Amino acid sequence: MGKNIIRNNIRKLRFNQGEMTQQQLADEVGVSRQTIVAIEKEKYSPSLELAFRIARVFDRRLEEVFWYRNGDQTK
Amino acid sequence: MSYREKENLVNIFSGLLITGVYAWMVYQRQLAGQIDLTVNYNKWGEILLIFMGISIVARIIIYIIFHIINAIATQGEDIPKEDERDKLVKLKSTRNSHYVFSGGFVLGILALAIGMPIYWIFVAFVVSGLLSEIVDNTSQIYYYRKGL
Repeated sequence: MGKNIIRNNIRKLRFNQGEMTQQQLADEVGVSRQTIVAIEKEKYSPSLELAFRIARVFDRRLEEVFWYRNGDQTK
Repeated sequence: MSYREKENLVNIFSGLLITGVYAWMVYQRQLAGQIDLTVNYNKWGEILLIFMGISIVARIIIYIIFHIINAIATQGEDIPKEDERDKLVKLKSTRNSHYVFSGGFVLGILALAIGMPIYWIFVAFVVSGLLSEIVDNTSQIYYYRKGL
C-alpha cells in the first residue's frame, strides 16, 4: 500500500489571486511562511481547521483546494 | 536554512559543547583525586545539579549570541511564530527523544544487573540525556526537511 497524501492547488490559487505571496497567505491564516511552503510541496498535511481557513481565503470550498489521493492511485 | 533548523543546530552544538566541557572538567578533578565518583554517589547528585544550572545559564548566553548573529545575518527578519506544524514537529521529536532516554535508562539498569559498577547508572543518565537531546534536535531538522 502506498503513502496516502493530501494534494492541493494552493500555488495555482495564489497565482489566480493576483500573485498572492506565500507570506501574505501565511499572515491571513496565521501560520509561518515555511508551513505554507511545506503544504504546497505536500510535505505537510494541514489540520482540518487550517485547511478551512486556507479555503476561506480563496473563497472556495474545501474540496476545491484540497483533495485526498491514495498512493496506489495513478491519478 | 530556516530559522528553526538553525535553532536546532545551535541546540545540538551547545549541548555537545556544554556537556563536553563540563564532563572534561569533572574528569580532571577525578584524575587529580579531588573527587572519587566511583564510590561517592552523593557527589554525582551534586555534580548533576550543578550541571543543570550551568547548562541553563550557558544556553541562555548562547541563545542571546545566536539571536544577535541571526538578526544581523538576516537583517532583522522576524522570527517565525510557532504554529501547528512546529508543534507537531516538536511532539514527534520529543517522542523520539524519550525513546532514546528510556533506552539509556534500561541499558543502565542492565549494566547493574550484569554486575557492572554502580556509577555506570549515572554515566548512563548523562550519556542518554545528551543523546536524547541530540535525537530531539536532529529529528526536528529531519521533519522540517523531509516533511511530516
